[in-house]
Amino acid sequence: MRPGDLFRATTFRLALNYLGLFTVSAIALIGLVSWSTSLFIEWRLQATVEADASGLSERYRESGLRGLADLIEERIRQEGEGPSVYLLVSPDGARIAGNLYGWPARHPNAEGWVRFRIERIGDRTTTVIAHAFYLSGGYRLLVGRTMDDVERVKLAINRALGWGLALTILLGIVGGYFASRQMVQRVEAMSRTARRIVGGDMTSRMHLSGARDEFDQLAQSFNEMMDEIQRLVESLRTVTDNIAHDLRTPLNRLRSRIDLALIGKAEGEAADYRRTLEETLAEADNLLATFNALLAISQAESGSRLNSFEALDPARLAEDVVELYEPLAEQNGVRLTARFDDWPGADAPTIAGDRHMLFQALANLVDNAVKYAPAGSVVTVSVAAGDRDGHAPGRVEIVVADNGPGVPEGARDRVLERFVRLDSTRTTPGNGLGLSLVNAVARLHGADLILEDNQPGLRVRLRFPPPTADLPSDEA
Amino acid sequence: MRILLIEDDAEAAAYMAKGLKEAGHTVDHAADGTNGLFLATTERYDVMVVDRMLPGLDGLSIIQSIRADGNATPVLILSALGKVDDRVRGLRAGGDDYLVKPYAFAELMARIDALGRRSTAAQPETRLKVEDLEIDLLARTVTRAGRAIDLQPREFRLLEYLMRHAGQVVTRTMLLENVWEYHFDPQTNLIDVHISRLRQKVDKDFERPLIHTVRGAGYSLRAPR
Repeated sequence: MRPGDLFRATTFRLALNYLGLFTVSAIALIGLVSWSTSLFIEWRLQATVEADASGLSERYRESGLRGLADLIEERIRQEGEGPSVYLLVSPDGARIAGNLYGWPARHPNAEGWVRFRIERIGDRTTTVIAHAFYLSGGYRLLVGRTMDDVERVKLAINRALGWGLALTILLGIVGGYFASRQMVQRVEAMSRTARRIVGGDMTSRMHLSGARDEFDQLAQSFNEMMDEIQRLVESLRTVTDNIAHDLRTPLNRLRSRIDLALIGKAEGEAADYRRTLEETLAEADNLLATFNALLAISQAESGSRLNSFEALDPARLAEDVVELYEPLAEQNGVRLTARFDDWPGADAPTIAGDRHMLFQALANLVDNAVKYAPAGSVVTVSVAAGDRDGHAPGRVEIVVADNGPGVPEGARDRVLERFVRLDSTRTTPGNGLGLSLVNAVARLHGADLILEDNQPGLRVRLRFPPPTADLPSDEA
Repeated sequence: MRILLIEDDAEAAAYMAKGLKEAGHTVDHAADGTNGLFLATTERYDVMVVDRMLPGLDGLSIIQSIRADGNATPVLILSALGKVDDRVRGLRAGGDDYLVKPYAFAELMARIDALGRRSTAAQPETRLKVEDLEIDLLARTVTRAGRAIDLQPREFRLLEYLMRHAGQVVTRTMLLENVWEYHFDPQTNLIDVHISRLRQKVDKDFERPLIHTVRGAGYSLRAPR
């Protein structure tokens, strides 16, 4: 971590900003406290002065100017170098008694209060707050107190707060430094992990501190995202491997067929060449069909609801597919029938979908059923209202059921993957893409694809969402 | 027939032009959209074959502009875009048929023939007749050599389509699209089974078969040669 990184770190900048804000508010607070404290002390001083003055005025009333002057001198003597300030002057301004040399230059305010600075022994200046009284005969009395206390308190407060402030700033900077260093380190650890993943190490995951804070939440989401990406990449890799493998076989056959035709007879007959070409063409057509099926799957998987979606009658689709496959079923000795449950209510059920894609999906299911069911078995395509358990009224189900060999329970998820064929079906023609396409089409229509045991045989249920509900467009 | 081919892929164009000429058609070729539109508006053709993606002006714009001009020449759209949406958009733009690449040449030929026929036989027919096989489109009855033949509704539509294109080759895909009206890839030779059922009823008890298999292409209903 370079020092520059630290100052750029968001946490550090944030800490500094807060520190600045705190300092300003602390200074404002100090000002307020010190102002109100000195106001309060001043008020107490004034009260003391008033009390002092009332004592003096009593003596003045009792024993006149002389008595007053004596009392003043006595108090000064008692107190020594104290906070009290007295001055009694004659009409011409000459001092009669008191510890002040002369009447202050400043005029008292309307209430008789005056504030002035005096020099005291040892070059110390201090502020005095005093009350001026005008006695009969032009004599004037000044009773006051030095504001040493106020200044001392002010100083003490300011010093305490100043130290506190300095400490706060120091702690703020140090704390901000450490906090942001920790943040920067965690972010750096995250970006190191991300760079490792970019570098090709897909198994790298972010470290969780265990504090369950925002960073852990972020790391957790990131790890989950990476798990999903890794799963997708792996499934893509499997698909690609399967495609390469499954296409290599027919391409090899194609190649060897051409090879054989070329080396078989030096002067091959035109008819032989023709036959080879025809077989080659058929093989190429099979390859194209496989590619078309793959494309159809990825189109269906691309996810978004198509413009071609319309309200469809599921019974019509079922009837059409049965009608189309019935001759083939008959040829294989299989009975293929359509069955329609009574629909509750007056309206015929509809499903929103693409009729060509849905037909393709149904055709694949019926094709499988007819292909794998042994002679003498029955294949039924039925349209049922609602859920079998009655929990989801309004949903339409198209069910293709046979009593052929079925699919073992453990393989039911696997057969939906591309190119997966059960060992028992290896000998029948097919590309292992039929159910993958059904699955993709089902997902495109927001329908559930459920493979069940028909005891014996396979029952495939396509459960559509209610016709009025809008299909989710963001679901893959 | 006189055919305009608008296709920018030189190899594909040469292959199509060669095949069409061998089948006895006259072919004009335009390698880009602008030239294609020029030829389409200045010359008269029986059928136009238009690639969707072209340099200059795309296929759908060409079709839209000639249709806006009142030109009703049948158009077959060729495209590498095979999604249902793409097909719908192509036909909505004024195309009469849509063929997705890659395709078998026999499929292209059969579709061009079908389109060419459409432009000559415009008035609605109520009866179709090939040799001694006759169908009444209004009464929906079929007779051969005066004998009534009982057909299922779908069999009737299958026979009707074959009769409307008598003498031409119709492919399995054309039958699926036009008789069953679904665009899909059957994994099995379904159409063959349907045709063999139809043969049982239409040809079996008669000396001269009318429904013929065309190898590598499809079927043709015509008098035996």
